[in-house]
Amino acid sequence: MRGLALLLLPALACAQSVPDVVARGEKIFNQTCATGYCHGSKGSAGGAPRLVARGFDQAYINTTVTRGLPGTAMPAFGGALDRRDLTAVVAYVATLNGITNPSVGVALGAGSAAPALSPNAERGRDLFSEATRSFGRCSTCHEVGGIGIQVATPISAVPADVQALRNLATPQVHTAVLDGESVPALIVSEGKRRTIVYDLTSAPPVLRSQDPGTVKITDGSNWKHSAFMASYNDSELAAILDYLRAAVHP
Amino acid sequence: MIDAMRPVAILFAVCLAGSAALAQNTPGPNLNAGATHADWPNYGGSSFSWRYSALNQINTTNVKKLLPAWIFQTGDYTENLQATPIVMNGVMYIITPRAQVFALDAATGRVIWHYKYPTARPGRPGSQAAFVQNRGVAVGAGKVFFGTNDNFVVALDEKTGLESWKVSVDDPKQCGCNITAAPLVVKDKVIVGGSGGDGAHRGYLTAFDTKTGHFAWRWYVIPGPGEKGNETWKGDSWKLGGGAPWMTGSYDPELNLVYWGTGNAGGDFNDTERFVGPGKNHDSNLYTASVVALDADTGKLRWYHQEVPDDEWDFDSAYECILMDRVVNGRMRKLLVHMNKSGLTFVLDRVTGEFMGVFSVPEVRTWISGVTEDGKLVGRREPQAGKVVNTCPSAAGAKSWNSMAYSPLTGYLYIPVNELCNDLTSADTPALEGRFHANGGFSFKLPPGRTTYSHLDAWDPITRKRIWSMPYKYVLLASVLATSGDLVFTGDPEGDFFALDARTGAKLWNYQTGAGNRGSAVSYSVNGRQFIATPTGWQQSITGTQTAGVFPDQTWRQGSTLVVFALPEDSK
Repeated sequence: MRGLALLLLPALACAQSVPDVVARGEKIFNQTCATGYCHGSKGSAGGAPRLVARGFDQAYINTTVTRGLPGTAMPAFGGALDRRDLTAVVAYVATLNGITNPSVGVALGAGSAAPALSPNAERGRDLFSEATRSFGRCSTCHEVGGIGIQVATPISAVPADVQALRNLATPQVHTAVLDGESVPALIVSEGKRRTIVYDLTSAPPVLRSQDPGTVKITDGSNWKHSAFMASYNDSELAAILDYLRAAVHP
Repeated sequence: MIDAMRPVAILFAVCLAGSAALAQNTPGPNLNAGATHADWPNYGGSSFSWRYSALNQINTTNVKKLLPAWIFQTGDYTENLQATPIVMNGVMYIITPRAQVFALDAATGRVIWHYKYPTARPGRPGSQAAFVQNRGVAVGAGKVFFGTNDNFVVALDEKTGLESWKVSVDDPKQCGCNITAAPLVVKDKVIVGGSGGDGAHRGYLTAFDTKTGHFAWRWYVIPGPGEKGNETWKGDSWKLGGGAPWMTGSYDPELNLVYWGTGNAGGDFNDTERFVGPGKNHDSNLYTASVVALDADTGKLRWYHQEVPDDEWDFDSAYECILMDRVVNGRMRKLLVHMNKSGLTFVLDRVTGEFMGVFSVPEVRTWISGVTEDGKLVGRREPQAGKVVNTCPSAAGAKSWNSMAYSPLTGYLYIPVNELCNDLTSADTPALEGRFHANGGFSFKLPPGRTTYSHLDAWDPITRKRIWSMPYKYVLLASVLATSGDLVFTGDPEGDFFALDARTGAKLWNYQTGAGNRGSAVSYSVNGRQFIATPTGWQQSITGTQTAGVFPDQTWRQGSTLVVFALPEDSK
């Protein structure tokens, strides 16, 4: 009996939360789709077409929102919104088209979302990509949790503490001589036609591509990871490490 | 083309203002300082952004003979063609909105090289960019530079089209920004602005070393804590207050200053989260909706002039800065002339930033009741919570991003002006980093009692008088080209590309190009033969779609074709 009750509970929660999902979809819609340049408040049309009472079915809305409409200004939101938010927006637009009980599938799976971060890890997440640090933020070179530019290879091991992070060995950084100019470099590829490296002289790294005959690469470099972390203090770095421990899954 | 009632008045105005211009505003020693010659080296022609060619092989007497010399189809029809071609030493460089770059023999159209920027995979940055546009490359230091939808600056080798360097300006997944403007090369640096004026993001200009791509400087439109101007922002609103300078600036080598217009403050239509009172006739939300002068070497601010304090109409100042030397009150002055999206056009001293005058260009204006002699806005008609407020001109601008031209021969600006209004609504949604943050909306309305909704004007920026005006039924969203053949060229959405007499506005020549014109025409010469080149194809994003929406019986054709005109070889 108890097992059955447990199975029923989520179902009951679902039935109650379709309007919640639609309400959440409306909120996301207002922040993302409703601007004057695009579909306007409640899909009443702005720069982009009206979405109310167009007779769209939910599958069409889902495809269009996810993939965009090539050849128009309608972007693909498949990567910009997470699956649950996307479903909520689709459900909301469905209600604008007379679908009173849209299917809300994954948007209901509240428990399936990523585990909550500790307050310090949350602070670390914000610090990792804090825009006010300009090119002095971690996300200038690292992509974690969908944010950042993937210059470095994905982080697979998180340093034990701040000291270890500051002293991080970087054997993958070499010295490249490009047209006589010596730079610390991450080697991206050495092909017949082009040699491609990330030049780490200063942030942001520059992807440089040259004729192999004009490039000379030697092992090792006196480049220091700590030089690119100067905008952070120890407490901030500790928070970032907390975040990485929660976010990085080797 | 001219209203039945107008010709007499216009002729009269031409005589008066024409002679006044000659008498008082004798062009200075820098008559051709902003002119182009055989090459078209910069987005705005020269770094003075005149879009004026000193070539006169094609002129008022023979323009009727103009014919296509060659046409070039890019094959990338996704978002049409709106870039300004760059021409250097007989080679033309043109870019499509998805960053296919072509080097063409500028005399024949033959492809020298073709570079294709990788198309973003669905779900990756760039694939969701809402502004899939590219307004041009910059050429210098042996390289071709451009910005991308996923917010990189890329440098190609000018001779081979091979990538030389590439650098991320910001993470588009976070800032929601991308690059649509042509970069500006200044000495050993390439300077680039970004989009995001209506996004929750803190706008900036960034300069990179042309040779290595190394970071040189960044200037934030919005000052940070402790910097002068930060106090004009409420609380933390400076962090996401917009202002992105999304077009291309100008440069004066003698003063070593770069000039740039900045975007509007966000949220666009509701100032409650960002406005610090009291009163509205003082600088607010600096340095949005402003013209700024920066030291070209360091990016440090030298002076600024804010055009719309506490903007609530989406009235960016992002457009071209036209640098000209003119006599004002008997004294030769170094000027900067700049039009705000509202159509208010400011005349500034470009050495000091001193305000010298302002005039309002559109015929229908309700957003303010007027502007004082010292440039203060009077009678602001602002959006209101819970109400629909109709204002003119619209958020699409009395002029859009497409550039005006300036001829030192006539002393006139040639301005494409749109007469649209909009119903503004205000919202109260908190800013979310990287998302659009218009905080309200607009829908276009045609102003009542008119039969034409745009016009191409000639204005004298010193006397602040309109000299002539050519009305057009729909909207004008292509840039203007002026030449020393006393010609003015532009195109319309119906596909007509045409030449007017620069002194009278009389239409002298017309050619149906087959698709809507939203690009920027240029002039150049190869081996003594003058060419006029114009991109065609009705670009959809944003203003293209919106303005088409108010003329539902119109279908403006898309495409992606460069049409290049010259006089027949035997008729020169």
